Amino acid sequence: MIPFEMVEPTSLKEALSLLDPQEPTIRPVAGGTALMLMMKAGVFTPTRLVCLHRIEPDFSRIALTDNGELRIGAMATLRELELDSNVRSRLPVLARAMRTLSSVRVRNVARVGGALAHGDPHMDLPPVLTALGARLSITGPNGSRELPLEQLYVGYYETVLEKTDLITAVTVPPLNGRKAAYMKVTSRTADDWPSLGVAVTFAVADGRISDPIVVVSAATEKVTRMSAAERALQGAAPDDADLRRAADAAADEVETLSDAHGSAPYKRELLRVYLRRAVRQALDGSGH
Amino acid sequence: MMSTRLINFTLNGESVSTAIEPHRNLVELLQRFDLFGARESCGQGLCGCCTVLVDGKAVSGCLYFAVWVDGKDITTIEALDADGQLSPLQQAFVDTAAFQCGYCTPGFILMAQQLLEENPNPSDDDIRHYLSGNLCRCGTYPEVIEAVKAAAKR
Repeated sequence: MIPFEMVEPTSLKEALSLLDPQEPTIRPVAGGTALMLMMKAGVFTPTRLVCLHRIEPDFSRIALTDNGELRIGAMATLRELELDSNVRSRLPVLARAMRTLSSVRVRNVARVGGALAHGDPHMDLPPVLTALGARLSITGPNGSRELPLEQLYVGYYETVLEKTDLITAVTVPPLNGRKAAYMKVTSRTADDWPSLGVAVTFAVADGRISDPIVVVSAATEKVTRMSAAERALQGAAPDDADLRRAADAAADEVETLSDAHGSAPYKRELLRVYLRRAVRQALDGSGH
Repeated sequence: MMSTRLINFTLNGESVSTAIEPHRNLVELLQRFDLFGARESCGQGLCGCCTVLVDGKAVSGCLYFAVWVDGKDITTIEALDADGQLSPLQQAFVDTAAFQCGYCTPGFILMAQQLLEENPNPSDDDIRHYLSGNLCRCGTYPEVIEAVKAAAKR
């Protein structure tokens, strides 16, 4: 890597003041595990990194709110999220997704906020949290705002965040009996970057699926909600015929991309198979 | 040239300090102290050869900025037999022949040590999951699992 400046602000306000709205070579760094990969590959050459570690204690708490939502500080590590007792009991799909999200070492260092802000469609946390209806708390020079995670991604490594925005927390509503599953398919080791990620959540009423949220990642240029698949699942009986119809709708509606993890047609076929598996896993509880 | 930064940290029980540039990683820092047990192999956090404990938690040294260890407690594989005795895990790796070339072994042992601290009686599945981010090109995975189970019993 080539030389750059590393600054370590001690307050959120100071951190924001060290970012620059016009300068793409200045970026915040949380755990740095993804950013260092880009730097080693020569894809990103910083002049200044704004390290967020000194403000970490204020932004790493994971706690239940009064209305049963889980508020996750953006500087919480992925490992803290994985081992949190509330996550384990209330959002087990999240703890389970962590098991194959890179290695324990990376999870010890990578932060929740970084994993969301990075915009790499191959990451596991964005599809799971999108399917769970998570909302982001974002602070910029003009104050704070909330944004549904679903609206964060606009393209390959592209988000709606300004260069002077920092994610401070992510809030996840309670499942309230909804079923949830996330499945990822890798072509090498189990914890590798996936060829496909698919996350589903839905309610079950009178034996039928209702209010489904279906999200695809990794195979597409960005984390994407699949509305045709959701329409096909609405009111569906969880039998082979109905699930097949939803899987076909999913495969028809998204544009898959070829890369080192598989060709576009291969990923389309994976989606057809794994959407059905994800719904079944959510139903039989093993996906929780 | 960008300036260096003075960092102070504990390295295998000893207080040390050095000046280092922000673009150096933890493996490069350790090499300055003649510690070569953590090795940069894949450089992408996938293989585990560069495992180092920072404040008792395993990290990939190749994906960890050296300046971040300022004020922290660093443990490398070299600390495990500092008293002249192999640690129980190191001895178990020898007893079960859980390596051939040995290049990946420091990473496996530090990760396995962390696993046993968290989970003193792991199942085969627990071991496989915990060590899935450690690669051995000699293919000694079955022996590694035996070694971890043997160490767990000691």
